Amino acid sequence: MNRLSSLKTGFGGVGLVLGLLACQVEEPEAQPQELFQQPANFPQPVYAVDQNRPTAAGVALGKSLFYDGILSRDGSISCAECHNQAYAFTHHQHDVSHGIDNRVGTRNSLPIQNLAWASDFFWDGGVHSLDLVPIAPIENSVEMDERSANVIRKLRASATYPALFKAAFGTDEINGPRFLQALSQFMLTMVSGNSRYDKWVRKEPGGTLTVEEMAGLTAFRAKCSGCHAGELFTDNSFRNNGLFIQGSNDEGRAHVTELPQDRYKFKVPSLRNVEKTLPYMHDGRFYSLEAVLNHYAENVQPTENLDPLLQPKSNSDQSRLGIPLTSDEKRQIIAFLKTLTDDQFLRDPRFAIQ
Amino acid sequence: MHTHFSYQLIVSFLIVGITLVSCKKDDEDIIDPAVKNSVSIQFENRVGDQKLVLGTPAYKNASGETFALTTLNYFISNISLKKDDGTVQKFPNQYFLVRQADAASQVITLKDVPSGNYSEMSFMIGVDSTKSVSPVSERVGALDVTSYGTDGMYWSWNSGYIFLKIEGTSTAVPTTISANQSFAMHIGGYGGGWNGSAKTVNNLRSVTLPMTTKATVRGNIAPEIHLFVDALQIFNGPNKISLATTNSVHMPAAATPIADNYKTMFQVDHVHNDKQ
Repeated sequence: MNRLSSLKTGFGGVGLVLGLLACQVEEPEAQPQELFQQPANFPQPVYAVDQNRPTAAGVALGKSLFYDGILSRDGSISCAECHNQAYAFTHHQHDVSHGIDNRVGTRNSLPIQNLAWASDFFWDGGVHSLDLVPIAPIENSVEMDERSANVIRKLRASATYPALFKAAFGTDEINGPRFLQALSQFMLTMVSGNSRYDKWVRKEPGGTLTVEEMAGLTAFRAKCSGCHAGELFTDNSFRNNGLFIQGSNDEGRAHVTELPQDRYKFKVPSLRNVEKTLPYMHDGRFYSLEAVLNHYAENVQPTENLDPLLQPKSNSDQSRLGIPLTSDEKRQIIAFLKTLTDDQFLRDPRFAIQ
Repeated sequence: MHTHFSYQLIVSFLIVGITLVSCKKDDEDIIDPAVKNSVSIQFENRVGDQKLVLGTPAYKNASGETFALTTLNYFISNISLKKDDGTVQKFPNQYFLVRQADAASQVITLKDVPSGNYSEMSFMIGVDSTKSVSPVSERVGALDVTSYGTDGMYWSWNSGYIFLKIEGTSTAVPTTISANQSFAMHIGGYGGGWNGSAKTVNNLRSVTLPMTTKATVRGNIAPEIHLFVDALQIFNGPNKISLATTNSVHMPAAATPIADNYKTMFQVDHVHNDKQ
C-alpha cells in the first residue's frame, strides 16, 4: 500500500492516475493484484517468480501448509514451530532449534523473509532452490522426522486439502511439485521492506532517522557493509567470521562442498529485523547485538579460512583481527540496526496464524 | 499343342511367381526409420555368478567378506542407441529408477525408436547436472523428490539425487560402528557449480556397451536388450572396497571410488529380436 501511494505521489496528478487505471482496465488479460511485491529499493529477485507466481489460492494453500503439523511425523511440529512471526519467523530464545520429541538440532533457525532474493538456503547453502527447502526440515530426524512421500499421502487423505489444491492448481491432484510450489508461493509473499530505514531510503512518510541512527548507518557502511551489503544486508556469500570453534565443531559450508577452503564458513545472514531474530550466529551463541559487536571488535579468532576482511591490513588502523569499533560506534550501529525492524511485516495478518 | 501351351503357361506363371517372391523379399530388407517401435531394456541384477536375492548373506567380496544386500537402487538416464551406420538415437528427458525390490522397475521401455540395426547403447548412472538443478515443476515421475518414502533417493540437506544406493549387512562391519553390522553407501554428487558457486565432486558416470547381437527395430520387432548387472563389481571393481573400513558413505568425495567401480558392472548379455 505504501508503495502504491508513493507511486501515486510520484505521478503527481489525479488525472494521470485515472489515465493509468483506465489503461489497466483495457488490458486484455487484466492481472489480479500482484501478491509478490518488490520494494522499490530492492534489487531484482533471484527466484524466477514468473514460473510460480503467487495466486490468492496458492498462497492460502501454502499458508495452511506452513501452519499445519501434518508436515511432521506425529502432527506436533509445523513450520511455525521454529519460524514464529513475532520474531521474524525464527525460533525465539532457542540457540539451536527444537523439533519433534523435543530433539535439538545443531543450528539456529534462520528467518523466513525476503527469500525471493536468496541464492542459497540454510547456513551452509546446501539447498539451491526455495522450492526444495521444505523437504529438509520435513525429513530431518530432529525437526519434523517425516517422509515427504507420507506428507503427500496424508494430504491426499485429508478432508480439506484436495479442495485447497483444486483452488490453487485447477485440479485436486496433490503431488510433490504442487505441494512445494504452494509453500514457495506463501513464502515469496513474506517480504519485509517497510522498516523505518526503508522509508528513509524511499523518502516516504515516517522515514526519519535520529542523529544517533545516522551515525550508526555511517559506521555500518564503513565497517560492516563489506559482507552485509546492499538493501538485503547480505552479499549472499559464505565466510568464516572467526568464531571460537566449539560445540558440534560444525564445518558449515564445507559440509556441503567438501572443499577445504570452505571449512567453518557460514552464510552471511541478512540483518533485516535483526533486533528480533536473536540469538545470533549459526549456533545461536550470542544472545544480544552487543555480544555480536563485541565479538567482531575484540574476539575474532585466527581459525582456518578466517575471512580476509577480518584480518589486519597494513595500510589501515586495523592492528589486530576483527573490526575496530569504539564503544560509541557499537552503540550507534546497534541503534541503526534497530531501524531495520519492520513492524508491519512482524504483525502482518497475511502471514499470521489464523 | 494343347499340352505344350499349358506347359508354357505354367513356366510363365512360375517365372512371374519367382519374380514376385523376390520383390517381396527386397521389400522386407528396406528399413524405414519412419516406422517406429519400442525397445525394452532389462536390468538383471546379480552378485557375481549368483542370483541377487535381498536379505540372503550368500555373497562374498574380493576382501573375503561375507555380505547380504537389503537395498540396491540406481538411476538410469540419458540413454542413447547407436546404429551400425554410426547414427545415434538419443532419449533425452527420460529418467528411470531401477530398484531391486521392485521387479517392474527392472524393465524400462523406450518408445518410438526408429527402425534400424542398433549395435551399441550408452546411458548415464544418475541424474545429470542440468536436471539436478531444474525447477521442481520439471521433477516428475522417478524424479519427484517427495516420492521416495523411506527408500530415499534424494539428499534434502545437500540438494541432489542419490545416483546409486547399496545397503546391506556384513559380519565384516565392526559392531563398534554399527551394532547390527549394517552398511550403507549412498553415491551422489552432480558437480555443483550452481549460481556461480564452486564446482564440487562429480560422480556422474556414463557407460557404453557394445551389442554383439544387434537390436533390429522394425515395425514388427520390438527388441529387448537384456543386461547383466553385477553388483559384486561395486566392491571388486578397479577399487577394492572392504566393508570393514568402508561401510558408511554419504558424501560425494568418499563415494568416487565406488562410482568408478559400478561404472564397470553393466554388460549386455543378449538381445531378443522376436517378431510380434
